[in-house]
Amino acid sequence: MGTIVFAGAMSHVLDPDYYQEACGLSGRRKVEACMAEIRAMGERMLARRPDALIVVADDHLNAFSFNAVPALCVRIGRHVERMVQEEAEAFDRALEGLPERYALHEDLANRILEDGLAAGFDLALSWEAPIDHAFLSPVMTLHGAQPVTPLVPIWVNCFVAPQPTPARCFAFGRHLARVIERGPWNAAIIATGGLSHFPELSLPRVGESDTVFDRKLLHWLEAGEHEPLQALTTGELDKAGEHEFLNWMALAGAVTPARADVRYFGELGRINMAAVEWRLP
Amino acid sequence: MSRYAVNSLLYRLKKDRAFRARFVADPAAAIAGLDLTDAEQAAFVARDMKRINALGGYLHLVMSVPGLAAHVTHPEREE
Repeated sequence: MGTIVFAGAMSHVLDPDYYQEACGLSGRRKVEACMAEIRAMGERMLARRPDALIVVADDHLNAFSFNAVPALCVRIGRHVERMVQEEAEAFDRALEGLPERYALHEDLANRILEDGLAAGFDLALSWEAPIDHAFLSPVMTLHGAQPVTPLVPIWVNCFVAPQPTPARCFAFGRHLARVIERGPWNAAIIATGGLSHFPELSLPRVGESDTVFDRKLLHWLEAGEHEPLQALTTGELDKAGEHEFLNWMALAGAVTPARADVRYFGELGRINMAAVEWRLP
Repeated sequence: MSRYAVNSLLYRLKKDRAFRARFVADPAAAIAGLDLTDAEQAAFVARDMKRINALGGYLHLVMSVPGLAAHVTHPEREE
């Protein structure tokens, strides 16, 4: 019987230069403090020797063109490439210098996909989609100089309306937990992105993070109160700049009713940085 | 507003270097024939990413098209 041996959620632009440019020295200091906590989380994760690392994250309109935008997509195959962006601007620069190819945990990904379809989750699949900073920035910060755990990348459509509901993402997380429990593998799982930033995806509102909303979400996660989380709407998340909390909802579903510990929370107008780790049995 | 036309154009500008170069050289010619409204066309010709975002262009694209991206900075008070 498999077990979830580690669960964590974290902001995913982990690039001190980006925050220094956008927010000044305070931005650099806060992301560095957040990264230090994520590195410590990574040491705890690797000490539990996971066979696979499930990463629930979003696509910043890089992997999926407007040809198709899957609500939930599982990356299958043996390897995944990182996105390559020529003349990268802003957050895309967080990818520069990272390895270009990563091993996947093919068997776990296939179980999540096939059992998901059988259970009523109409998941998309991809053999080719590359992964951007939403996946790789946290993965590489968690691992440091250690070999990267075989990955199972899962995309949630956080940005292109209509998005899946928070309740649906939570239910999908329950599915992940059932697959792991039935299988032979010990899995770590992370959700990335957030916390509040870019409300309504509106350029004039860049710089208006919603700390009150973040504290409400973190309180529910710390208390293991997952009912009110499932009642959230995508409209509320859009207004509060919590689009990427959909990824966190899948993680909450996977570990419910576990309680979370907030390892880091730092306020920036640009984005509230966070790192959270769950207390698992 | 034609959300698909605006965003597929932004996506192409981000990912297709040769198309981006043609757009920089002559925006009106590069986007001729696309299913854009007059307002959308004018915003692209002016390379006005704020306006393009207001017209439905996704934020992460208007902030990341090489050489054309909108840059927003807001230095924080030092603590």
